[in-house]
Amino acid sequence: MDFRLSEEQELLIQNLGELLQREAPESLMAKFDEAHEFPAQAWKALADNGILGLGIPEEYGGIPADILTMTLVCETLGKFAFPLGIIYSLGMITIRDIVQFGSDEIKQQVLGGIVKGDAPVALGITEPQAGSDAVNLKTSAAFQGKDVILNGQKMYCTLAGVSKHILLMTRDPKIESPYQSISMWLLPTDTPGVRMNALSKLGWWTVPSYQVFIDNACIPYTNLVGKLNEGWPQLMANFEIERLALCAASVGAAEAAYEDASTYANRRAQFGKPIGEYQAVQHKITDMAVKIENMRHFIYKVAWMMDQGMPVRQEHAMCKLYVAQASFEVCDDAMQILGGLGYMVDSRIQRLWRDIRLMRIGGGTDEIMYNIAGPQLLKKARKAAEAR
Amino acid sequence: MNIVVCCKLAPDAADIEVNKDGSISLERAEWRIGSFDLHAVEAGARLAAGGGNLLALCAGPTRISQSKLKKDLLSRGPDELYLVVDDALAYADTAATSAVLAQAIRKLAPVDLVLFGEGSADLYFQQTGLQVGERLGIPSLNAVSKIEVEDGRLVVERSLECEVEVLEVGTPAALSLTTDINQPRLPGLKDILGAGKKPVHEWSLADIGMSAAPVIHVEVIETRAPRRKQRKQTMLSGKAQEAARALVDALVGEGLV
Repeated sequence: MDFRLSEEQELLIQNLGELLQREAPESLMAKFDEAHEFPAQAWKALADNGILGLGIPEEYGGIPADILTMTLVCETLGKFAFPLGIIYSLGMITIRDIVQFGSDEIKQQVLGGIVKGDAPVALGITEPQAGSDAVNLKTSAAFQGKDVILNGQKMYCTLAGVSKHILLMTRDPKIESPYQSISMWLLPTDTPGVRMNALSKLGWWTVPSYQVFIDNACIPYTNLVGKLNEGWPQLMANFEIERLALCAASVGAAEAAYEDASTYANRRAQFGKPIGEYQAVQHKITDMAVKIENMRHFIYKVAWMMDQGMPVRQEHAMCKLYVAQASFEVCDDAMQILGGLGYMVDSRIQRLWRDIRLMRIGGGTDEIMYNIAGPQLLKKARKAAEAR
Repeated sequence: MNIVVCCKLAPDAADIEVNKDGSISLERAEWRIGSFDLHAVEAGARLAAGGGNLLALCAGPTRISQSKLKKDLLSRGPDELYLVVDDALAYADTAATSAVLAQAIRKLAPVDLVLFGEGSADLYFQQTGLQVGERLGIPSLNAVSKIEVEDGRLVVERSLECEVEVLEVGTPAALSLTTDINQPRLPGLKDILGAGKKPVHEWSLADIGMSAAPVIHVEVIETRAPRRKQRKQTMLSGKAQEAARALVDALVGEGLV
C-alpha cells in the first residue's frame, strides 16, 4: 500500500496553500466573517489560479481532475480558509450534475462563468416541509408552450443570493412514486418571480443561506437539466461526492484547529510552565491528532474508491458521520485548550467551532447517515452469513 | 530573446532541525527553489512571453536532480531545464558556482540575458550573478527592480538606498533582481501537468567542458544555530504593590536594573 501523493498533487497542494496565505489570509477571512460577506475577492483569486476549473471539462475552460485530487484541494481550502472549502464543496454537486446531465447550451451558460469566478450554482431542494425527507418537496413545474412556469418555496438554499443560478428540484404531484416524479431545472436567480430572504445563522456567515420564494417564474423548457422526472437519481448520483468534499473541508478545519491548539499549548504558561506539559492537555492534543489521522485516511480511501468506480454507498455515509462528529470534537477540544481566548470573537477557533457544527446537519444529518449505512451494513452481514 | 534564469536549489530553511549540541541537520529537509530566485524565474517568464524562450539552469549535487523539484521549476514558466550535477558542488562557494554556471551558459549560446535572484536561499552571498557576468565578459548589474525591452536594448531600474537609477544596457547582460520586481506566479494543475512534459537536460562537469571540479576557496568549518536562552517564566503573585516590589527585586537580582 502506497500512502504517498503524486508529485503533481503535492505541488498543487503546496501552491494552493501559498495562494491562500497570500489571497485569503486569516485576517481577511475574519473580516468577511464579521461583515457577513461572501468572500468574492478570495473566490476570484481561486478562479484566477485555475482552482475553480478543476473537474470541469477542458472545452469549458476547466481541467480534468480525479476525485482524490479534488478532495485534497477541499482539505487544503478547509485548512487555510474553511468557508472557501465549504463553498467549493457545495459547488461540487451542482457542477457535476450540470457536467453530467446538462445540455451543451446549459454547460456553456454556466461552466465558463464558474471557471472565471462566478459563485457556485445553488442547490434548491430543501423546503419547509421537506428536509431530510427531501422527496416530499412540493415546488411545481407547469408547461406552457416552450416555457415552464415554476411555483414553490425553497428553504436553506445556500449561496442562492450570490449565485447566478439555482439548480431547482420540482415534483410532479400526478406521479405517485416520488422517486420518478422529480425534475431538475436551471433557474436564473434574476428571473422575475424569484424573491429571497437571507437567513440569520449561528455560523457560515460568509456562506449565505436563503429562503427562496418562486411565484410564476417562467424559464424556457430547454433549462431542464437531464431528463424529465429523473431528477432524483440524477441528484443522488452526486450527493456522495458533495458529502466527501464537505468531509475533506472539515478535516482541513480540524487541522487548523489542531494547529492553533498545539501552538498555544506550547506557548501558554500557567503555574510556572507551558500548559502543554500537563498530561490533561497532552491527552487532548493526542486525541485530536488521532482523530485527524483517522479522518484523513477515511476521506482518502473513499475518494480512491470513487476514482476506481467502486460503490461507496455505506462508506461515504460512515465517513460523513464520523468526520462531521470528529471534526467538531477536535474544534471543541481546541477551544477548551485555548480557554477564554478561544471563546473571543478575535480567535479563529470560535469561527471554526461555529462553522463546523453545521456539518452534522447539512449535506445529510448524522441520523440520515446512520439510516443509509445501517441497512447496507446489515445487508452485507446477511449476505456473508448466507455464503458461509 | 534567449533568456537563461539561474536558480539555486537548496534545502528548505523551514525544515532545518537543530540538534541538541546546536549543530543543524538537513537530512529531512525538502529541497526547494530558492525563494529569491522565484522572482527571477517570473521576470524571465514575463519577458519570454513577449517573444523569446526561457531556459532554467541549476548547478549542484545529485540531490538537485529530483523529479518533483524539476516539475516545480518548469511549472513556473521555463521552456527547458538544464542541470549541471556533481556531488563536488555540494559545498560550492560563489566562485566555484559562478565558474560552472558561466561554462554552462557558454554551451547554451547564443544567450541574450541571464537572470539571477538577489541571493541564494541558503548562503545569500549575493555574488554569483555578478561573478557570472564578469566571467562571461558581459555587463552585470545587481539590485535590478524593473526591466523593459526597448528596440532590442534593456532599460532597467536599480533601487538604491536614496534613489532609483535608470540605465540602458545592451545585450547580452547578467542581471540580479530584487524581490520587489514582481510577485511570482503560483502554478495551477495545468502548469504542473505540463511541466512533466518539458525537456530536462542533465549535464556532468565534463559535459560542459570542465575536466575537474572547480576549486572551492571557502571551507565551511561548522554551522550552528544561535543558542536559545531558556526563559525563567517566574510567576509573581500577591497584591499589586507586593508583586511590583518582587519584580523590582528580581530585576535588581538579575543585574538588569
